[in-house]
Amino acid sequence: MMDDPELRELFSDPADREVIDLLYTSRPAAPPLDPHFRSYLRAKLMAQARETLAAPTRRRWFQLGPLGMAPAMAAVAAGFIIVLGVEAYLHVQPAASPPVAADIHAIDQKRDVATAEPIQIPFSGPVDKTAVEESIVMQPATSFTKHWDGQTLVITPAHPLAPSTTYKVTLQPKAVPPSQPAATAPPVQRPVVVHFLTAPAPVPPVVPPSFKSGSITYGYDNRIPDSSRLSNPTWTPDGQLLVTRPADPPSPAASTSASAGPTATPAATGSASTNVWLMSTQGTLIRNLAPGGSYPSVAPSGGLFADWSEISDHATLEVRDLQGNVQAAAVATISSRPDRAAVWLGPSRLAYLSEGLLKVVDLHGTLIATPAIKVTGAMSASRAGLQLAMVTDAGPVVMDLSTMNTTVLPAGATGFSWSPNGQLAFSIGRVAGSDLYTGVDPKSARKVAGSAAGETWSDLNWSPDSASILLASHSGSGADSHVRLLLVNADGSAPTGFGSNQRDYANPLWSPRGDLVLFSRPDEAGGISLWTAKATVGQPSAADNAESQALAEVDKFMQARIKGDLSGAQAELDAAAQQAYKNGASSLLSPGAQFARYYPVSVQLAGPNKFLIGARLFIARNNVETSFFEEQLTVVLQDQRYLMDAVTATPTVPLGHGPNVVSVEVRQNGSTQQILVRFDSDLKPETVSADTILVKDNQGSPVKTRVSFDPDGHLVTLDVKLKTGTYSMVVTTGVADINGTQVAQAYTTPLVIGG
Amino acid sequence: MPDSIEERELVERAKRDPEAFGALYDRYFPQIYRFAYSRVRDQSLAEDVTSEVFFKALKNINRYSYGGHPFSSWLYQITLNAVADHYRGQRGEVELEEGSDMASREPAVLDEVVRRDRSRRVWSAIDQLPKQQRAAMVLKFGEDRKIDEIAVILGKSSGAVKLLLHRGVERLRRELPQGEAELGTP
Repeated sequence: MMDDPELRELFSDPADREVIDLLYTSRPAAPPLDPHFRSYLRAKLMAQARETLAAPTRRRWFQLGPLGMAPAMAAVAAGFIIVLGVEAYLHVQPAASPPVAADIHAIDQKRDVATAEPIQIPFSGPVDKTAVEESIVMQPATSFTKHWDGQTLVITPAHPLAPSTTYKVTLQPKAVPPSQPAATAPPVQRPVVVHFLTAPAPVPPVVPPSFKSGSITYGYDNRIPDSSRLSNPTWTPDGQLLVTRPADPPSPAASTSASAGPTATPAATGSASTNVWLMSTQGTLIRNLAPGGSYPSVAPSGGLFADWSEISDHATLEVRDLQGNVQAAAVATISSRPDRAAVWLGPSRLAYLSEGLLKVVDLHGTLIATPAIKVTGAMSASRAGLQLAMVTDAGPVVMDLSTMNTTVLPAGATGFSWSPNGQLAFSIGRVAGSDLYTGVDPKSARKVAGSAAGETWSDLNWSPDSASILLASHSGSGADSHVRLLLVNADGSAPTGFGSNQRDYANPLWSPRGDLVLFSRPDEAGGISLWTAKATVGQPSAADNAESQALAEVDKFMQARIKGDLSGAQAELDAAAQQAYKNGASSLLSPGAQFARYYPVSVQLAGPNKFLIGARLFIARNNVETSFFEEQLTVVLQDQRYLMDAVTATPTVPLGHGPNVVSVEVRQNGSTQQILVRFDSDLKPETVSADTILVKDNQGSPVKTRVSFDPDGHLVTLDVKLKTGTYSMVVTTGVADINGTQVAQAYTTPLVIGG
Repeated sequence: MPDSIEERELVERAKRDPEAFGALYDRYFPQIYRFAYSRVRDQSLAEDVTSEVFFKALKNINRYSYGGHPFSSWLYQITLNAVADHYRGQRGEVELEEGSDMASREPAVLDEVVRRDRSRRVWSAIDQLPKQQRAAMVLKFGEDRKIDEIAVILGKSSGAVKLLLHRGVERLRRELPQGEAELGTP
C-alpha cells in the first residue's frame, strides 16, 4: 500500500493499513475466461468497425526490400516474442518508383489469432504473384491453399491451425515494376518477418459437464455475414460448417464476348449453380469443396461428406473428403433435382430417394436391396447406421438396416432425431399442440412431454451427451406467429427456454463439442440468416473447480518465472518441490535466456485434491522463441491452497524441427479410455500408427491400442482399455509431417488412469 | 500505464481506423473483462457486459474526447452503466444503501468469511458493500486506478471517492473477524 501516495495520505491508522495490505496481498486470481471469447469478440468488433468507421484506413505498409527489415527488427528489439514469421523478399525497386510494400500490421505480432481464419497480406503494388505463391512455406508443416484478392495474398490453411503454436511462413515475392515484365524482375534480396500467436485451446474439464436443460445458458450470438444466401448448413466433426452457396456470376473480365447476354447465367449455360463450401463459424469461406454441389451431409466418421452434383437433367451423388477430393464419384444417379441431402448409414452406406423411393447404396455405388418404400417425409439414421427412421406413404416407421424389417411408429411421428447414444426422439402433432417421444428402442418409445396448447414442436436436435433435446416451438399464426427454442431433458423434464423470447429461431443444431448452437433467424433486412449462439454448459463440478484453482496456481507460478520473479515462483512451491528444483529436477529461471510463455499441455486428476499438470515453457533468446521444454507438475492442495509438490522435466526441444504434440487429453469412456493427442503440424497419415504412437504400462510394455487419425484437427485418437494405474504415452520419431520431417525427439508423457 | 500521448493518438486513429480500434481492444480487454467479472461474478454475464462495453465504445468513439484521464476511464464508465443496465429491472438484486449495516442485513457474511480462504474472505466482503463503495474499492484495490480517475468513472468528486474508500475500508475492518488482517499478512 505504501507505494501509493494517495493511500498513504488517506489512511494513517495502522489497522486500516492492515486491511489495505490484506486487500493487495489477496487479490482474486484472474477470472475464468473462455479463451475463444476474446478472439471471437474481436472478430465481431472488427467486422462492425470496418462497416462503421467511415474514413479509409491508413495502413502501416511494411516496405519490402532493404529498408523493410527495420520495423521488424525494431519490433523484436522492443520485446515482442516471435511466434510466427512471414518472411518476404523483394528486389529493390528503381529509385524512381516507390517500393512495393506488404501490409502486415493486421497479423504482425498478434496474439490470440483465430485458428480457422485465412492469413491476408495486402501488397501495395504489383508483384510476381506466381512467384509469391510458389515461395510460401509454413512451419510447423501446414498444407494450405492460396489465392489473390486483388493485390492481397490470401493464405488459407487446409486445416485449422493448432492452438498456442509457433508457426513460420516464408514468402519470396518479386516486385514487378510497372514498366518491366515479370520475367525480367531483378534478383531477390532481403526478408521481411511477420509474427503472430494462435489462440489457446480451452483446458477440458476433468469431469465433462452435463447438457441437462436447466444447466445450459444462452451466451452471446453472432450473425454469420451474408448467410441469407446459404442453405443446408451442417457441422463438420471439427466444428466448422458445410454450406450450399450459390455460385457467383462470372465477372465481367471473365466474359468471353459481348454476346454473353443476361440469359447466359451459369445455370443456363450448364455451369455450376451452387457450390458446397467449407466455412468457419465466423462466416469465412475456407474452401469450395464441391463446385456444382448441393445438399452436403457429413459422414459420422472418416472426414467425408456426400453431396449432390447436378448435371443437366440429372444429379449424381458423390463423396468427397474435407479437402474437396472426390473419394467416390457417381455413387448414385437420380433423374430429377434433389430436394434433400443423402443420409449416411454409418461410415460406408448412404440412403437417398429416387423418385420418392428409398435407395441404399455403398460407397462403391452398389445398390443394396431394400423393400420398396415410398418416403414422403423426414428421414434420419442412427449414428451407428443400424436404424433408419422415416415417414412413408404407409406411415412413420423405423427400418432395421441389418434385417430390413420395419417397426411401425405411432401415427403422425416426424422430426426424427437420433442421439449419440442411440435414442430416438420424434414429435407428434395433436389438435392443439405437440407431444415429444423418446426411446432407446423405437418399439418402446414413449411420450415424455407435451407442448402447451397452441404450440407445435419441431426441429428436434439432441445435445452432444444425449442428456437433452433442443427444439423449435411454434406458436400463433400468420403475422402473429412466433418461434422460440426450448431445451427438454431426455426424460421430458424441465422444458427450459433457450435464447430470447422476442426472436424467432429455427433449425437449431448443436456443434460437435457443444460450445455453439447454429440456428436460423430473421435479420433486420427481412431475410433469414444463419446465427451461432455460444452455449455455456453446466455448473462446474467440484473437481472442475479444484482444477481451476490448481491451474490458477500453476499460472501464478509460471508468470512469476516468465517475469524472472524468483521469490514469487518459490512461493508456489512446497518444501518437496523446492528441494526438487534445488536438486536440478528443472530450472526455476532460465539463465542466459528468458521464459517467453507457457501453456498447459495436459491436466489429469491424479488423486483427491491432486493434479498432474503438463506445462510447456518456451525459451526465448533476444526475444525470439528458440526452444521449449515440458514440466510435469504434481499440484497438491495444502492448507486450502494448491502448491507445486513435485516436478519432472523433459530435455529442451528446438523449435522448427518437426512436428510437436500440443495437447494430450484422457477421456474415460465407461471401462475404456480415449487418449486424444493433438499435434501442431499436418502429419503424413501413413506415419501415424500403433507402432509410432504407443501406450506403455509401468513396466514399459506396449498396451494394445487402436489408433485413428483426423487430419483436420491434427488429432490422433488412441482407443485403449486400461486398468487403474500409471502408464505412459510415447510419440516416437517415426511420426513425420507432410514434408517428411520427423519428430525431433521422442515425446513421452505420463497417463494416470482412475486417479 | 500506457503513455498518454501515444494513447491519445491511438484513440484519435481509432475514430477512423478499425485496426486502431482493434489495438485499443487488445489493450483494454483484460482489465475491462476482469472489472466486469468482479461486478457480476458470472463468466457468461461478464462476457455479455464486456461485449456490450466494446460495442458501445465503437459506436460512440467519435464522441469521446480526451479530458485528462486515460481512455480506460471512459471504458470503466461504460462498464458500470452496462452492469447497472443488466441489473436494472431484475428481481432479487438488492443493493445495499450507503450507511446500511452490512452485518445486520447479511448475517451470513460473517459465517461465510470464516470458512472461506483468506483471499476470498476479504474480497467476498467487498462484494457485500453498497454499490458505489464496491465500485470504488474494486477500482482502487483491484484495478489500481487513481482517485481522480475513479471520480471521473463514478461521476463524483475526488473528495467523495476518498470518502467512499475510507468508509469501505472502515467497514471491512469492522466486519472482518478479529485478527483477519494478521492472518492475511504473509
